[in-house]
Amino acid sequence: MVAASSSGALLSIRDVSKAFPGVKALDRVSLDVSGGMVHGIVGENGAGKSTLMKILSGVYEKDSGEIVFDGRVIERTTPVESMNMGLAIIYQELNLVNTMSVGENVFLGRFAESGGRAGVHAKARKLLDSIGCKVNTHTQVSELSVSDKQMVEIAKALSFDSKLIIMDEPSSSLTNDEMEKLVKIIADLKAKGIAIIYISHKLDEIFGFCDVVTVMRDGHVIDTRAVGDLTRNDMIAMMVGRTIENEYPPRPDCAGETILEVKDVHTRKLKDIHLTLRKGEILGLVGLVGSGRTELVRALFGADKVAKKTILLDGKPVEIRNPKDAINLGIAMVPEDRKLQGLLLGFPVEQNISLAMLSRISERGFINRSKESAISERQIKALNVKTPSGKTKIRSLSGGNQQKAILGRWLEMGPRILILDEPTRGIDVGAKYEIYLLMKKIVEDGGSIILISSELPEVLHMSNRVNTICDGRINGEFDPAVASADEIMAKAFEFA
Amino acid sequence: MSAAATPVERRFTVGTVLGFLKDNPIFVAIAGLAILTSVVEPKFLTSDNLDNIVRQFGTLIFAALGMTFVIMAGFIDLSIGGIISLVAVVTVTLIDKIGQGPAIAVGVTVGLVCGLINSGLILSAGALTQAEALFITYGMSLVYGAVALMYTQGVTQFLTYSASDISYFEAINSGGFGPLSVSAIMFLIALAVLYTIERRTFMGRSVVLTGGNKVAARLAGIPISRAVVMIYAISGLMSAIGAVVLVSRVTLADPTMGTPWMTQAILAVVVGGTALVGGRGSVLWTVFGTLLLILLNNCLNLLGVTSYVQFMLRGIILILAIWLDTAKQNAVTK
Repeated sequence: MVAASSSGALLSIRDVSKAFPGVKALDRVSLDVSGGMVHGIVGENGAGKSTLMKILSGVYEKDSGEIVFDGRVIERTTPVESMNMGLAIIYQELNLVNTMSVGENVFLGRFAESGGRAGVHAKARKLLDSIGCKVNTHTQVSELSVSDKQMVEIAKALSFDSKLIIMDEPSSSLTNDEMEKLVKIIADLKAKGIAIIYISHKLDEIFGFCDVVTVMRDGHVIDTRAVGDLTRNDMIAMMVGRTIENEYPPRPDCAGETILEVKDVHTRKLKDIHLTLRKGEILGLVGLVGSGRTELVRALFGADKVAKKTILLDGKPVEIRNPKDAINLGIAMVPEDRKLQGLLLGFPVEQNISLAMLSRISERGFINRSKESAISERQIKALNVKTPSGKTKIRSLSGGNQQKAILGRWLEMGPRILILDEPTRGIDVGAKYEIYLLMKKIVEDGGSIILISSELPEVLHMSNRVNTICDGRINGEFDPAVASADEIMAKAFEFA
Repeated sequence: MSAAATPVERRFTVGTVLGFLKDNPIFVAIAGLAILTSVVEPKFLTSDNLDNIVRQFGTLIFAALGMTFVIMAGFIDLSIGGIISLVAVVTVTLIDKIGQGPAIAVGVTVGLVCGLINSGLILSAGALTQAEALFITYGMSLVYGAVALMYTQGVTQFLTYSASDISYFEAINSGGFGPLSVSAIMFLIALAVLYTIERRTFMGRSVVLTGGNKVAARLAGIPISRAVVMIYAISGLMSAIGAVVLVSRVTLADPTMGTPWMTQAILAVVVGGTALVGGRGSVLWTVFGTLLLILLNNCLNLLGVTSYVQFMLRGIILILAIWLDTAKQNAVTK
């Protein structure tokens, strides 16, 4: 069937709407994607990007509107059908079978028709070579890095002769080197005439290699423009619907005397750790994934058992055997993985917020429920958590609002020391700024923060002091107001 | 009130009721089953049969209520078959030695201790997944069952052969105050206490939070280990009470009599709507799950369906219940 649209685009989306109970996720969205283009889609969480992608891949059904892909009108599709049509999606949480080999994953479900064992591995080899990936096709996927897993996903997409590949925040767990590799591959794919939809929060990437960008907000397409015609501030303003002067608030400056000292921490990962933290200070910890930065804060918080550690709080040694001990000493931690370690997805926002205070608002074993709602109401208001009510399941909130709810959980106890491990991962510009402001307020009120982040600019702009951690050791200390990003990264990479 | 307002109000009520029934198909199933059976087999409505249903309900419900806590926390307890057998034989054999009151007290304590042993093993093994708990409690079920066999030398103990007074057991079986039987009163008290723990208390909430996300709950200072101790203690205790009721009804204690109750209790909890993965459920739901299960057993018996087919149907119902729940959850997520 011939496309109804006249644009000649590879993918043409016309007035597509989708509503969920209580939310209009997409409101008459229109979008054209041409072959051989890298088309960026940006927007805050909850803007409708994921919903649109899930309609394209057949996970959801659209309520109205028209989608034409490669000259064919698409009504209702399934994930398998859309792959066969040449439309592949690479999700953030990659969809590979960890216990199978690379080759088997590339031709998952098509083992026999791809020539059995020998055929599958030979064909997978060819596809991987075409994108410059050297991974052995017999390797089990669980042994691969995130970057290599992405390569396998791309090879899988190519095996379907995909005309359009959608990448959903592919960079979120890549190192800089790995990212460069991905950018190169994207350029290659583009040269082959394949269209790429690149979903991201990171403006650097949009400006770095996208040709066209579509900005979405609240279920609408705000505009689609050539990237060259836009400035960073234009794009941010379109995303949040208002102008943000700066991406970061001014650096707080209220560090006082030393309140925390962590030393002699030895685990399989950590060696000879010595760390200090001052009152009112934001201490940035910079290191690669796997450098021991997360292990260090988990050891401090009592999340993992550690054979030996010395922790001095206000100069006095304290015992922290489990998170409960840490909490009683006024230490709080927002963990790295929001969904797995932070949230109770099936529970109401209210119960997610009251969690850390639950034992304190219980009298003789009974939860004081009016105190519980009061706490949640207070934090929802104070942190501007966008939720229909405290009774709403937290699953239905956007990433930024979920993260604010977790912060509210800890702020209610007025922590002396707040550990933030990747506090802004996967959340949008507007919510990020709110979280930075909150961090500033916490230290101005006399709290201290240990900040871990893979986004170096964030650490550089927000911290008073930066420690680099490399191969389980703290190997450098910097004043981020003076030190350059290159200097700090060089130190963090030292062991390589 | 104006005449116009009334129909609007009624329509609202009917709508609410229909919506409620749509969300809780178990009530439709219970009613449908009762009506169908009474039409096909008039014997269903005889007082003898209804009495029978109440008695069967009264035996299963205690173990099922305890099991609800275990499953809400995302764990499972396969040991209750062994616990019921052990408690039953210990209680009956002690009557002549220490009297009926102390015998019941010792029996119930044995159940509680078994539960504490389970939780101790699970915690010391660091077995925080449902699969690990499944194997550990299955192993312990064999142990408790074996102890019961060794203790009795495999011989069935008859309550009625006791030389001493067994009036408590007779009271549990057939006594009552006004319209309420003794076992009904025991059931209502247990339900009220457990429901209050579940909905109102810190430990009750901790149990559900543990089932929701153990890692996140622990990192927020929720006492996961205490929750694990509590669920297995409650499960052991409630199974023991169930064992005493069972002994009163069948007037004997057999060292293998507990075995079928394990699957029945899990079935009752899951059919009631408590999620097998934990984090969502209620003892109140289990009451209806138990009722449905007992009604089904009863109507299949009345209709002369062989026990082989009944086993198969139980399996199908379990799968259906899990399937319906998953479908419902998926619908919510989308």
